[in-house]
Amino acid sequence: MNRIQSGDLNNIREKRVHEIKKFKAALMVCAGTGCVSAGSFKLKDLLEKELKERNLDNEYMVVPTGCNGFCAQGPIMVIQPDGIFYQKVKPEDIPEIINKLIEGKYVDKLLYKDIETGNYIPKMENIKFFGKQQLIALRNKGIINPENIEDAIARGAYNSLAKALEMNQQDIIDEVKRSGIRGRGGGGFPTGVKWEIAFKTSQEKDVIPYIICNADEGDPGAFMDRSIVEADPHTVIEGMLIGAKAIGASEGFVYIRKEYPLALERLEIAISQAEEMGLLGKNILGSDFDFDIKTHRGAGAFVCGEETALISSIQGKAGEPRQKPPVPAISGLRGKPTIINNVETWANIPVILDKGAGWFADIGSGDVSDSPWNGSSGTKVFSLVGNIEHTGLVEIPMGITLHEIIYDIGGGIPNGRKFKAVQTGGPSGGCLPASHLDLSVDFDSLTKAGSMMGSGGMIVMDDKTCMVDVAKYFISFLKDESCGKCTPCREGLIALYQILDRITKGEGKNGDIELMEEISQTMSLASLCALGQTAANPVLSTIKYFRDEYEAHIKDKKCPAGVCKELISYSVNDNCTGCTICSKKCPVNAISGKVKEKHIIDPELCIKCNVCYEVCKFDAIEVR
Amino acid sequence: MINIIIDGKKIEVEKGTTILEAAKKLNIIIPALCDREVVKAYGACRLCVVDVNDGNEIKMVTSCNYLINKEIEVFMQSERVRKTRKMLLEMMLSRWPNVPMIKQFAAEYGVIKPRMIHPLVDYSENACILCGLCVNACSEMVWEDIIGFAGRGENRRVVMPFEKHYEACIGCSTCANICPTGAIYMTDIPNKPADEKRIDKFGMKITEEMTLMDDEQCDMRGVGTAHLTQIMNDYDLLPTTNYRFGSHKEAGKLHSDVFKAKFTQGLPDGCWLGCTMSCAKSIDNYELKSGPYKGQKVLVDGPEYETVAGCGANLGIFNPEFVIEANFYCDTYGIDTISFATGLAFVMECFENGILDKEKTGDLELNFGNEEAAMEILHQMGRGDGFGIIVGQGIRRMKKIFTEKNDLTDEQIQFMQDIGMEAKGLEYSEYVTKESLAMQGGYGLALKGAQHDEAWLIFMDMVNNQIPTFADKAEALHYFPMFRTWFGLMGLCKLPWNDVEPADNAENDEPAKIPGHVEGYVNFFSAMTGKEIDKHELIRQSERVYNFQRVFNFRLGYGNRESDRIPYRSAGPVTNEEYESRAERYDKQLIEKWNYDIEGKTSKEKRDFLRKMREEDYQKLCDAVYNRRGWDDNGVPTIEKMREIGMDLPEVVEVLKRA
Amino acid sequence: MKKQILVNDNLIEWQENLTINKILKIMNYSFKMLVIKVDGELIKKDEYGTKIVSENADVKIIHLISGG
Repeated sequence: MNRIQSGDLNNIREKRVHEIKKFKAALMVCAGTGCVSAGSFKLKDLLEKELKERNLDNEYMVVPTGCNGFCAQGPIMVIQPDGIFYQKVKPEDIPEIINKLIEGKYVDKLLYKDIETGNYIPKMENIKFFGKQQLIALRNKGIINPENIEDAIARGAYNSLAKALEMNQQDIIDEVKRSGIRGRGGGGFPTGVKWEIAFKTSQEKDVIPYIICNADEGDPGAFMDRSIVEADPHTVIEGMLIGAKAIGASEGFVYIRKEYPLALERLEIAISQAEEMGLLGKNILGSDFDFDIKTHRGAGAFVCGEETALISSIQGKAGEPRQKPPVPAISGLRGKPTIINNVETWANIPVILDKGAGWFADIGSGDVSDSPWNGSSGTKVFSLVGNIEHTGLVEIPMGITLHEIIYDIGGGIPNGRKFKAVQTGGPSGGCLPASHLDLSVDFDSLTKAGSMMGSGGMIVMDDKTCMVDVAKYFISFLKDESCGKCTPCREGLIALYQILDRITKGEGKNGDIELMEEISQTMSLASLCALGQTAANPVLSTIKYFRDEYEAHIKDKKCPAGVCKELISYSVNDNCTGCTICSKKCPVNAISGKVKEKHIIDPELCIKCNVCYEVCKFDAIEVR
Repeated sequence: MINIIIDGKKIEVEKGTTILEAAKKLNIIIPALCDREVVKAYGACRLCVVDVNDGNEIKMVTSCNYLINKEIEVFMQSERVRKTRKMLLEMMLSRWPNVPMIKQFAAEYGVIKPRMIHPLVDYSENACILCGLCVNACSEMVWEDIIGFAGRGENRRVVMPFEKHYEACIGCSTCANICPTGAIYMTDIPNKPADEKRIDKFGMKITEEMTLMDDEQCDMRGVGTAHLTQIMNDYDLLPTTNYRFGSHKEAGKLHSDVFKAKFTQGLPDGCWLGCTMSCAKSIDNYELKSGPYKGQKVLVDGPEYETVAGCGANLGIFNPEFVIEANFYCDTYGIDTISFATGLAFVMECFENGILDKEKTGDLELNFGNEEAAMEILHQMGRGDGFGIIVGQGIRRMKKIFTEKNDLTDEQIQFMQDIGMEAKGLEYSEYVTKESLAMQGGYGLALKGAQHDEAWLIFMDMVNNQIPTFADKAEALHYFPMFRTWFGLMGLCKLPWNDVEPADNAENDEPAKIPGHVEGYVNFFSAMTGKEIDKHELIRQSERVYNFQRVFNFRLGYGNRESDRIPYRSAGPVTNEEYESRAERYDKQLIEKWNYDIEGKTSKEKRDFLRKMREEDYQKLCDAVYNRRGWDDNGVPTIEKMREIGMDLPEVVEVLKRA
Repeated sequence: MKKQILVNDNLIEWQENLTINKILKIMNYSFKMLVIKVDGELIKKDEYGTKIVSENADVKIIHLISGG
């Protein structure tokens, strides 16, 4: 493969499109990590084998793609160009899929069934989950094979780079500023302003700056960045190239967490293919611009998502944050001006240059024409997980309300349960109750209510969730992830965990809530980095909105949601028909009773494993 | 200067001062675990937080590392600051309830019994409180990075790599000395000092002086001895083209800045790993341009001042790359750079004056400044062929060889004696002694030959004019050689003695002796051995060995007035050119010191007279020194002297009877 | 009669407004570690620019240099 010039991009695109058009249809097999672990690679292999055996491999192509976002329903397959959406595909479905494909029909049982109407919806665009999304960062998900650079180019990849190579540096920066885009990693700092600081500092000090992509994505339940890299690594590479051109960098790093092997593999393939084509390396697209990207694996530390800790890690030292100022844009990697942006931020950049800053600024909420701080422009990718019908990844314009996300797109709470709370922003964020569902999701609105949008993680909780237990979970996570350098974070998290643990075990004391509030206050004010400064948010927000639950645990020694084992008891109510299933399944023989008679649970023997509750078909087990 | 307000009090500070430093000027003290002058603020304990109003907002910051660069108002004890410190101390006290420092701070903020029970509570009084001082001291003061933090969060602890003992740790005890709780302590000290704490006190004093003041004094940590080049050049003491002159307009090319930019390493080099001065400097990846390793990238250990002055100015070569390459090959071949440089300088002057010619040098044009020829001689010396074999035998033998083999006139032979810079067969090290009678003695009287380790008196004599009389010079030539050779007896490096000085040294009576450090070394010896000595006994210890060595020299034929002779180039101008380069100074001396009438006299006439006077002066100096040292007229120690210092061993007396 | 001062027992010419810094320049003393006394009084470094030396003063400028 020869190194190309910018004029060649169009030829490659046309050639690829022409190649694809030869096929009658394409079977896009989702190969994001979620579907892969459900067996989608095997599906792909079987499909290819079957098509070959039937001599149909010249008519139908099989394309492994990145994550479609509908992860709980995986393995997913989409048949293009019609956009037929299949979910929960099994190997034995393959012959029928192909048969129906040839006939121009579909396999009903694999189609999506609407929750309200019960009707099958064959086409993806008609499914609310997909239809309501606006794809910018994820525009190529499910459409291209991420391991084939020609697919990406066919979809327009690297055209914006070619454009940027013709622009002068300040103009590129101004365009990004005008778009109003703010950091998608959670900090929400205006990206263009950050670039400008790094650019100006490099000019003043006559030094060469660096570009870094933060792909450490440590929030539990967040997988937006992973999906972007697995689905479309070239958009990230292109974004970094444009950023490098803008500020004058020649070296870039992608810091990717160790727990993302598939994303790393796809990224390295993409980098290698881009290098071969002359889209990375020296004299890119025949210009005098050079840029190289190296990948750097994390080693399992959440704190390395913090930019100064990340830089420390790249430099071979322990991932510990340092004092800011100076910010990395002024003095970062090896003491030089460094821009660190999140994967999703980079993924948006080529589109901004392609469609224009004004187009981007018009999407989202607020008015960024005077300042990016005045609004939240563009879209955001959210990972919707927890007690929700449609678990997965969505990209929607900023400003949409929590209610819309959870109910319209997410399909509401499954199993007939009620909504209790939604946790946003990962461990640095907080839990919001039903009264706040009309809040719009953007950089500023959630913060005012005591949570934050963060990097886009959204954990929905139903009424069987104990909020004290949730707080304890997050504090436990943060306690293990604290780097331990500064006193308030290290000791504060240890102390908070001790107290929460006691409370969930029925050993809560009067004054515990106030003590936790005091500790949290100190952590917020005195911690060295954002991890410590925001670590108490899960505790503070649950105390604020669910204080009564804390008080029940402490004063009454009860867990209203029925979660904290030491505080709950299992009993049989009058719905019991005496079917004896629970008594047979009980691992410790704690349930006794005759056939067709109401059973009894012996609290002394009961280990609260919840099996009886799960097997009872009559709602006869009560957990209180 | 910037005006700020702290707790309502106004103060003016320099830009870049920390809030904590500014507060201390106002005698406002707050708890801060990492607050030591010798290491950078760590900002980890967070006890030193304060509220700062910078005009935009009020925020809480750590005062230890907040650099003041604009007008601010600081609240060291606002309510929320106090509350925060109180909670932090409560957290710490719950984990380390018996550490005195924590208990004390906590009590000041009203915390006696914490409300939390810590799962990792450590009841020891010497618990490690994770303040980071030890780690930062090992890194910043001693440049070793042997200990560090491992583990995250509640697992954070101070360890050596992989929690095994790391041999690179030589037990310098810097970390143990800086630890505020005693969590680090020295265990097995193999040479078993009698009073470890007393030694630690002096050791830490030197370490702190080095860390805090070296960069404004000699910059030994930054650039090593190479800092001397431009000083010598400024004071006309840089040996140039075989000691003819003391400065050169191109000497800037050998400035320490030039080498500092090339240095890549600064670790101890065959000396003590725990040294804070770490003055040895090296250059990595230097590509050689000549010789058997041409083209290879090598590590060059140096250059030090002597190599720069010698292989540079003294050969008339002002190219730093030549100096670096000569340094490398001298090291590789096992050749001393001083002997090489001074020896070759002699050869070059001989060549320029017709004593040598191309036929004799194997076609090498050994003019001053000829880099290629100079490097070729070095390689010949290494290989053992060509003219290099002659040069490699040193000045004393070369003078003999040229006298015998080269068919020279008497004048030429005398000229060689005058310009061949060696004493007792050892080539001179790189300082111009022409105008300092005391230093001429320093070189000429030294036991091993022309080396300045015994005395370095040029500035005291020539510039400070502190030793004007013969008696003064003799006293200096007694005290300093005795003091300086004491380090050799003890196996100590002498550089910490006077390459860094305490801030209050100037206030002493005899600052050149660095009395504060002399006292330290007296303490060191006493604490090490358990034998109390004072500064006089210290000198005594040296005197015994020194005189013994002189007797030894005498036995070998190097220990009397005759062997203490020096070449005239080291005492005055040999040529007209040299005279005229300092004509004003010489004329003045002739007139003022000896009432010589210079009217109508030629340079040669003035030169000859000056020489006669100076040579007489040198002999008078020897008289004074021998007398002060208790030696006879011929410069040999008397038996009485040996008896006085308890060195009248039978073998010694036997030799002296023959004197 | 020329007005003079002693610098390290050397006579040099005195002039109006003769500060320590000026003397250092005249003598070409570029070395940093100096101990300076005027008529026995120790002069601190931050006074080198302001301390004026009167005629017949006895100035000692001691270089504390170690030598390599």
